[in-house]
Order: sequence, then C-alpha cells, then structure tokens
Amino acid sequence: MSQALAPARGTARPPVKLRRVFAAAARSEWIKLRTVRSTIWALVLTIAFTIGLGALFTAIEVSRWDTRTPTEVSGFDPLLYSFAGLNLAQLSIGVLGVLVMTSEYSTRTIKLTLGATPQRPVLLAAKVATFSAVVAAIGLASCFAAFWVCQALLAPKHAGLSISDPGVLRAVIGGAVHLVLVGAIAVALGALIRRTAGAVAVLFAVLLVIPGLVTLLPAPWNNDITRYLPNSAGAAMSAVGRFPNLLSPAGGLIVLCAYTAAALVLAALALTRRDA
Amino acid sequence: MTVRGAGGQPGRPGGSRPVIVVRHLTKRYGPVLAVDDLSFTVAAGQVTGFLGPNGSGKSTTMRMIVGLDAPTAGQVTVDGRSYGQLRFPLREVGALLDAGAVHPGRTARDHLAWLAASNQIPSGRVDEVLGIVGLAGAARRRAGELSLGMGQRLGIAAALLGDPPVLIFDEPVNGLDPEGILWVRKLLQSLAAEGRTVLVSSHLMSEMALTADHLIIIGRGRLLAAGTVAEFIERSEGHHVHAQSPDAGALTGLLRQKGATVAADGPESLTVTGMESRDVGILAAQAGLTLYELGTQRASLEDAFMELTREHGEYRAATPAPAGTPA
Repeated sequence: MSQALAPARGTARPPVKLRRVFAAAARSEWIKLRTVRSTIWALVLTIAFTIGLGALFTAIEVSRWDTRTPTEVSGFDPLLYSFAGLNLAQLSIGVLGVLVMTSEYSTRTIKLTLGATPQRPVLLAAKVATFSAVVAAIGLASCFAAFWVCQALLAPKHAGLSISDPGVLRAVIGGAVHLVLVGAIAVALGALIRRTAGAVAVLFAVLLVIPGLVTLLPAPWNNDITRYLPNSAGAAMSAVGRFPNLLSPAGGLIVLCAYTAAALVLAALALTRRDA
Repeated sequence: MTVRGAGGQPGRPGGSRPVIVVRHLTKRYGPVLAVDDLSFTVAAGQVTGFLGPNGSGKSTTMRMIVGLDAPTAGQVTVDGRSYGQLRFPLREVGALLDAGAVHPGRTARDHLAWLAASNQIPSGRVDEVLGIVGLAGAARRRAGELSLGMGQRLGIAAALLGDPPVLIFDEPVNGLDPEGILWVRKLLQSLAAEGRTVLVSSHLMSEMALTADHLIIIGRGRLLAAGTVAEFIERSEGHHVHAQSPDAGALTGLLRQKGATVAADGPESLTVTGMESRDVGILAAQAGLTLYELGTQRASLEDAFMELTREHGEYRAATPAPAGTPA
C-alpha cells in the first residue's frame, strides 16, 4: 500500500545480496582496524612475544646445553621453546579481539555500525572474518619467524628441526590457527559483555586462571580436564612431540573450533536480540 | 508545501507523501514507558520538527526509526519498509543521532571512510561531504581533537554521506555557535527544498519556529500535537499589540473603553490584547494621542508550546503518573 503511495526515487534498484553486504562490512572493518593505534600496538606486541620469548627460552636452553641432565636431553623438544611465546601472544590477540567489539560500545560508534549494517549476524561475521584474516597473517609470519630463529639458535648444537620434518609445518601453522581461534572467541566475548574490562577479565580467566585452578584438582581429574581447556587445545595444535596432557593436534583443533563456534553463536544471538 | 522537484521526483499536488510512518509505537525499558502508543507521519519536501522537552521520548523514537532499538509494540517504516530490511541503508536514510559517537583516535576522514565503505559509497564522497560541512581543513585531525561544534559538523557529514532521500537529525545544533546554527537551519531547509524528507528533533521551540514547516510535538512519549508551524501558532492565544506613547495613561483608558485589555510594561509602554494594531492607531489619532511605536507581536512558538503542554499537564506533574495510565 505504502509502496503504491510512494513513487520510487530514481529507478528501482535490484535488491542487494547479503554477500555484498558482508563484503562491504568487511572492508569497513578493515578500515576501522588499521586506523586506530591500539591495533598496531597489539600486533607489534604479538609478534614480539611470539618471536622474542621463543628465542629467549631457546637461547637459555642453548647456553646451558652442556650441563643438562640425561633426562632433560632425552626429553628435549626443539619446538616446545619455539612456541613458548604463544601463551602470551594469545593474550595480546585476545585483548585486541575484545576491543574490536567493546571499543564500539565505549565510543558509541556501535550506533553508526549497526545503523550502516542492520543485518547484525552479517556484521559480526564480517568483524570476525576481517580480524581473523589479520591475525592469521600476523600469526603465520610470527610463528614461521619464531620457528626459524629458534632452530637457527639450535643449529650449532645440531638439535634443530627442519620445516620439512614430520609434523613441523603443521605445528607452525597450528600456532597461527591457535591465535586466530582465540581471537575469534575474544570478539565474541566482546559482543556478549560489551565492556572492555569485563570481557578482558573473562578472557584471562578462561586462558589463565581456570587452567591454573584445574591443576590443583586431584589426578587424574586435573589432566583429564586440562586437555580440554581452550589454551591446552590450542597448544596441542603447535606441538610435535607426544605429550600425555595434550590432545592430538586434530583433537585440539576440533575442541577449540567447538568453543569458538559456541561463543560466536551466543554473540550473534545477543547482538540480534539486544538494543544497540 | 510543494516539493520543488529534485532528480525527477514528482511532488504530489495538495500535500506531500508520507515517507516515515510511525504507527502505535511503544517502547518500554523495564518499568519506564519511554514511548507510548505514538503515531505520526513525516512527509517529503519539508522540514518536520520533532519537539518535546528533554526525556519526552524523541531520541528513543529516532533510535527505533533506524532500527537500533526494537519497539515493544507498534511499527515504523521508511518508504514502506522497516529499517532492518534495508541493504546499504545509509543511501536511504542518513541519521545524526549522537555526534559524540566517534573513535577519538581516528581522523575525521577515516571516520567517514569506514562508514562509506560499509555501504559501498564511493570514497570520493568522503571529501565531498567534508567540504559541504566545512571540515575540509580538519580532515586529518583526530576526532577526539575536534571542538564540540566541529564534532557536530562531522556527525552531519556522516548523515549526508549516502546522499539519502531521508534525513534524521537529533538535536543537530547542539554545541554550534550562532553562525553554525544559521548554517544548519539553511542546510535543513535546502535539503527539504530538494524534495528530501527531513526530521529534526529539538527542545528549542524558538529554533524550530525558524527551521521547520511542520511540527510533531510529544510529551512523555505521547503525541501532543501535529500540524504546520503556522497552524500551531494560530491555534494559540494569538497575538498582541505593543504600543509606546508619552500619553500612556490616557491611551489605556481609551482602549479599555473600547473593550481591549491593556497592561502597562513601563511608564510609556503598553501591551494590548483584543484589538488590532490598526484600530489602536486610529483610536490614538482620533483622540490626538501621540504614538511613537506601534506593532503586532505574534505569539512565539515557545508561548504556543507552553500553552499546549499546560493543557497536557500530565508530564509536568511533580510525581510522574504510573506508566500506561491514560491521560
């Protein structure tokens, strides 16, 4: 009825496909990400943590190479220290992921964002996709760099691994995937909680506090639960040796993907149902 | 008011078509009834003022028009569609709801750039709208460093970004200096003259009298009145005549004799109601009384508004009536 009343302005446009809405929102989110300083700082920190800590721990190991006990020698995993920095890197990525959503609420730009893209699940998908792409690029670059730096440090001791050794390439990529999935969970937490402090607190509780508390449980409860926690599932993806407390790499991927999917579904529901 | 044709859009003879249609809109936040069964329409080709005291539900209504808040009941459509159905809505509806909604670390240009990208608006349009609002020189400044008035202009630029046929402004003159206020007034009127639909909220009645063609007045989330500015003033008490005379005392007696109501504003200054200025002048001349100033003062919109809200005393009550209580 009102359509009949209302002469169309110009010629009628064909309806815009949701795919185009997503593509435009993703481009918009990319501009948002690269035009604030916090992104640069968090990404620089992530790279520094991943490469720096890996190199530091590996260098310490190399410096005490000749004084190691036989058990230390036999149990040595040349990759373990290479990815030691991922534990911290996941926190800087996590904080940045939280900010992707919560900075919109604290600056109230969420009104503009949702006004420009009222298809809220599409918007969330665009945010997660854009952020994940950035984390994937930074994660891959820093994981490869950490790997090569650390193996170069181990080379004089003839203990290093090559990227072509079994499981090594998978582990390096797994480290980056770990960061991507933690980042996506962080975006979801930001959408659910809306406030930076609260969302960061929950993220740190999940990644740091809960794992610490679970180790206090009596065996075998502690190990059985620990291996299903998000950060252990993530660590399983970047491990090459067999660790009794970790899932298989594929198992870790499945578990962490399940956490991510659950968090994103809840976030999409919350974003759709609540007023902006 | 006829539409002065823009882009081949025909103006409908004998009135403009309704573009924004609000029907039985209700919004409840817990125990608070912010908008209460509100219905009105906003037509193209004119500036519609959305008037009400602070907290009367103007902003909430505007948030529901652009889909930020979901109505508890009722509905609102823009050009026949709900906002949520729009793809790339910035090209259809431009809104300034909160000029403070900017990331302080982002430059003015970057702020508009992400908005433009989100609706596939060509990036050249960003500099265009910065020019329109007079911020071309501040394009590289961080939004957090802009003055209140410049921030307001940036918000207006964002609303204009998609060159939309419908524009919604919530208190656009907040923080602007007199020059800026004049600029906004002319901008709104020129947008309407191009055939666009312009809805602008304000709690400043005097400002709306100068800017708007049509008024929608609400109080406590309910519609109090809707009509043209002229009708609205006409409906109020009317006007009075202001006269200055050295013979004020004699003139007062004479006018009262003829049935006018006269009040003295000063020793030589009178306010006359119930008589036209022409008749006051003729009477004074016939009696040989000197007048050195004579003029008609129209009731201001402010007066009319106060009168209207007096009639609807409910929202002026010291203790608010329980939500949902009929007036």
